Amino acid sequence: MKKYLTMEKMEMESELRIDPKILEEFLQMNKNILDAPKLVAAPDEISMEMTPYDVVCSEGKMRLLHFNSAQKKQVKTPLLITYALINRYHILDIHPQKSWVRNMLEQGLDVYLIDWGTPTTMDRYLGFDDYVNGYMDNCVDFILKESGIDNVSMQGYCTGGTLATVYASLHPKKIKNLILTAPVIDGSRDSTVVANLAKHMDVDKMADIIGNVPPEFMYYVFSILKPFEQGLEKYVQFFKNIHNKEYVENFIRVEKWLSDTPPIPGELFREWIKNVYQDNLLIRNQMHVSGRQINLKNISMPVFTQVAVGDHLVSPECSMPIHYAVSSEDKTLRMYATGHVGMIASSFSQKKVLPELGQWIKERSEK
Amino acid sequence: MSYTEEYKKSLGYYKHVSLFWTDLVSLMSSRPQSLMATGPFRKLGVNAKKANAEMIEINQGLAEFNARLGEYYKQLTDTWNEAQKQFSKKVPEIPTDTEHLDATKRIWIDIFENYFTRLFDSSEFAENFGKLVSSELDLAKHWNNVASLMLETVNMPTKKEIDELYKELHLLRKRVAKLEKISNHGENGNGK
Repeated sequence: MKKYLTMEKMEMESELRIDPKILEEFLQMNKNILDAPKLVAAPDEISMEMTPYDVVCSEGKMRLLHFNSAQKKQVKTPLLITYALINRYHILDIHPQKSWVRNMLEQGLDVYLIDWGTPTTMDRYLGFDDYVNGYMDNCVDFILKESGIDNVSMQGYCTGGTLATVYASLHPKKIKNLILTAPVIDGSRDSTVVANLAKHMDVDKMADIIGNVPPEFMYYVFSILKPFEQGLEKYVQFFKNIHNKEYVENFIRVEKWLSDTPPIPGELFREWIKNVYQDNLLIRNQMHVSGRQINLKNISMPVFTQVAVGDHLVSPECSMPIHYAVSSEDKTLRMYATGHVGMIASSFSQKKVLPELGQWIKERSEK
Repeated sequence: MSYTEEYKKSLGYYKHVSLFWTDLVSLMSSRPQSLMATGPFRKLGVNAKKANAEMIEINQGLAEFNARLGEYYKQLTDTWNEAQKQFSKKVPEIPTDTEHLDATKRIWIDIFENYFTRLFDSSEFAENFGKLVSSELDLAKHWNNVASLMLETVNMPTKKEIDELYKELHLLRKRVAKLEKISNHGENGNGK
C-alpha cells in the first residue's frame, strides 16, 4: 500500500512539472500585461488626425475635407474619395507610413475626402438620393467650381464604392475616372458572413422601429467575422509585442478605428440592404434612386476596380461584376493578395496598390 | 328553443346590459372627470388599459425572444463542442514539447475559426439570428408604445409625432436644396 502511494505521488509530481520555457513565457506575458498601461496610450488619449486638412464645405453632418500638401500637383484633375458608411475615414490616413491619403498627395494628386459624420435620429430619413444627389453632388460641384475644371476622379471604398457607382451612373459627365476599391455591387455572389446575415434581415422592421442602425449592431456583425483570430489571438500578440513601439501604436490606432462605428441612417440602410443584398437590383440595372434608374451602362469613363483575394467583408465575387457591367472601353481589374483593410492601410498597399493606382490616375487626368 | 340558443341569448343580453351600464356610467361621470382634464390622471386612466395590453404583448414577445436566444446559444455551444472534439482528435498527433506550443495554439485557432465561420455562414444561423433581431425589435416596438402613452399622459410629443416632424424637416430640406440648386444654376447661366 505504501509503495503504491509513493508511486502515485511520483507520477503526480512528474505530471505537474512545467517546462521552464513555458513558465518563463507565462511570467513574461504577465509582466507585459502589467507594463502595458505605462507603455501605451489609452485609445481615448490618441488623436486619429494625421495629415492636415481644411474643411472646405459642410452640409448637415457631412464635411468635405481638402488635404494640405507641400508637393507640387502633377495633374489638374482632383481626386475625391467617398469613404464607406461603416467606421470612419481615418483608416485611409491611419499612420504616416501606411497612409493612403499621404501617398496620393506625394504622387502629386489634389485629394478631397467626404467624411459622412455621425448621423443622429434626426437623419433617419436620409437615403441614397440624399447621399448621392445631395451630399456627393454638392461636393463635386464645389470642387469643380474651386478647381475650374469639368470633372473629377472619384474613388469609392467598400460601401463608398456602391455610392460612387450609383453617382457615376447618374452623373457620368462629372466623373473623369472612377476607382472602385472593394465595392459592394453584387450581393447574390457575396459569400461573406456579412452578406449571409444581411440576406436574412427584416430591414423594413428595423428601419421603421428603431430608425438608424445602432453602431453596436454593426460592431456585432463585424466581431463574428474572425472571432478567434480577431477576438483573441490579436490581443495575445499585442501584449507579446508591448515593447515594440511602432507595433503597439499602430495596433491602438487600428483598434480605435474599428470600435468607432457611427450609426447608419435607417432609410439608407434599408435601400442598401434591399437593393444590393436582398433583391440584388444594382447589378441588374433595376435599382432606382429618386425615380431614376441606375443603369451601369451609363458608366463609360475609365474604371479601375481593385479587389482583395482575402477580403472577408466584401468577397471578390461581389465586387468584380462591376468590371463587366460598365460600358467603359478603358477598364482595369486588379486582384491583390491581401485583405479588405490590407488593401488600403498596409505596407503592401504602399508598395504595390498605391503606385499602380497613382500611375493609372495620372495617365488619365488633365495635366 | 335549444339549450345552446338559450345560452347565447342570455350571454348576448348580459353583454348588452353590461355595456349599457358601463357606457352610461362613463357618460354620467364624464362631467366631474372633465375637471381633471388638465392634469395627468384622466389621460393616465384612459391610457392605462392600452399600457396594460402592451405589457401583456411584451410578455408574449419575451417568450419568442427567449426561444430565439436559446437557439442562438445552442448553436454556439454545439459548434464549440464539435470544434473541441476535432481538436482533441488532433492533439495526440502534435508533439508536446515547448517548441510546438505555438503550433498547437495555431491549430486550435484554425479549427475553431473554421467551425464557427461555417456556422455563421449557414442559413440556419442567419435565419435564427434574423428572427432573434426581429423579436428584439418587437419588444422595442411595444416598449416605444408604452413610452408614447406615458408621454401622451403628460402632454409631451410622442415618438411617432417626432418622427413625423423629422420626416417633414427632411422633405423641407430637400425642397430648399433643390430650389437653391435651381437658383445657383440660374445665376451661373446669367453669368453673375
